[in-house]
Amino acid sequence: MAEAIPPMDETDARRDRKSWSARSIGSRWQHRFFYALIRLAGRRAAHVMVVFVALYYVLFCPSVRDRARPYLSRRFPGRNALLRLWDRFRITVEIGRVLVDRAALGILGPGQLTVRHSHREDLLERVREGRGAILLTAHAGCWQFAMESLRMLETPVSLLLHREEGDVDLHIFEHRGDAGAFRIIDPAGPLGGALEMLHVLKQGEVLCIMGDRAMGGDRSTVEVDFLGGRVRIPVTPYQLASATGAPVVVIFPYTSGPGNYSLQVAKVIRVPEDLGRAPEAYRPYAEAFIRELEGFVEGRPYQFFNFFDMWNQEPMR
Amino acid sequence: MTTVEKLKTILVEELHLEELTPGDIDENAPLFGEGLGLDSLDAVELVVIIQKHFGVEIKDLDEGKTAFQSVQALASYIEGRLKNG
Repeated sequence: MAEAIPPMDETDARRDRKSWSARSIGSRWQHRFFYALIRLAGRRAAHVMVVFVALYYVLFCPSVRDRARPYLSRRFPGRNALLRLWDRFRITVEIGRVLVDRAALGILGPGQLTVRHSHREDLLERVREGRGAILLTAHAGCWQFAMESLRMLETPVSLLLHREEGDVDLHIFEHRGDAGAFRIIDPAGPLGGALEMLHVLKQGEVLCIMGDRAMGGDRSTVEVDFLGGRVRIPVTPYQLASATGAPVVVIFPYTSGPGNYSLQVAKVIRVPEDLGRAPEAYRPYAEAFIRELEGFVEGRPYQFFNFFDMWNQEPMR
Repeated sequence: MTTVEKLKTILVEELHLEELTPGDIDENAPLFGEGLGLDSLDAVELVVIIQKHFGVEIKDLDEGKTAFQSVQALASYIEGRLKNG
């Protein structure tokens, strides 16, 4: 799909790593403006506004425009300057609309959007196995819609999520004041949240993890090919699966039309028991996940929102 | 063999701590970070190992955190759980 491209200049890579943050790019007042617009004029009006805001960012804010550069340059190698600008505009509009929809769901409640599941019964069956289930997703589409739609599982759902200090972007449940809906496990907590995650699975519950972002040192990751380059991704989901017998269900939520979201169950990965502590033992399963993710970004290139430069990576700590 | 000694042997063998012998492990040193130098991947493995060798399942999160302070703390936790059935 994507050809290998020369690595960025080391200075560029260092500068990008240093300046990269998972925090929302918008300020508090900008978020409040959009929340007010959604309340007063509705979701569609906010979508229109997103187009203008995206245009502004892409034309006048290089720091914002360049956030998607590592991914887009791999996904669309060899693009000319105009097409590169177009790609960045498209992905900025997409993520802006997802954020609006997310806020609309929290502010205006369900009924604004529909979420469809492919292989819904498959997902329910995996959860009913009683060994817990690891839902492995990526920074694709709107994972929070996936979480919302997981209420149909009627099983407690925990999410591995690190919230950066100063992030002003609210999650759906925070809009609703419904913080108890999901349990958040912080990977920056004691032992990387390992005990909490294990506990969740031993209770036969559901654990949701992002498979495309390494947190912690090299020992918890393996290097795999992604879009023509080498990236490090975490092995924790597969190690947990090996320790508990839980199936790893790869899911990707994505926008399937105006006001419509879909949850695709892409693959179920079974990890043998007792594979031990060496990350290399989990490489085949990490590779199986990354192949699914590559297929996803091939079909929906503007719905992958991992703007961390995975190809010049020091794992987040 | 005491629980502490058994634990040390199991840790070296099961976690493949090739640079250490059971005798090198200070039972009061922290298991994670400085000390034995284990990390979050090892925490998962440790829970599995304890269940496999002692039949003790670390279910309670807070108890687990206390037990994982050191080899001595883990041994006391295991002995306590075995004693109370």
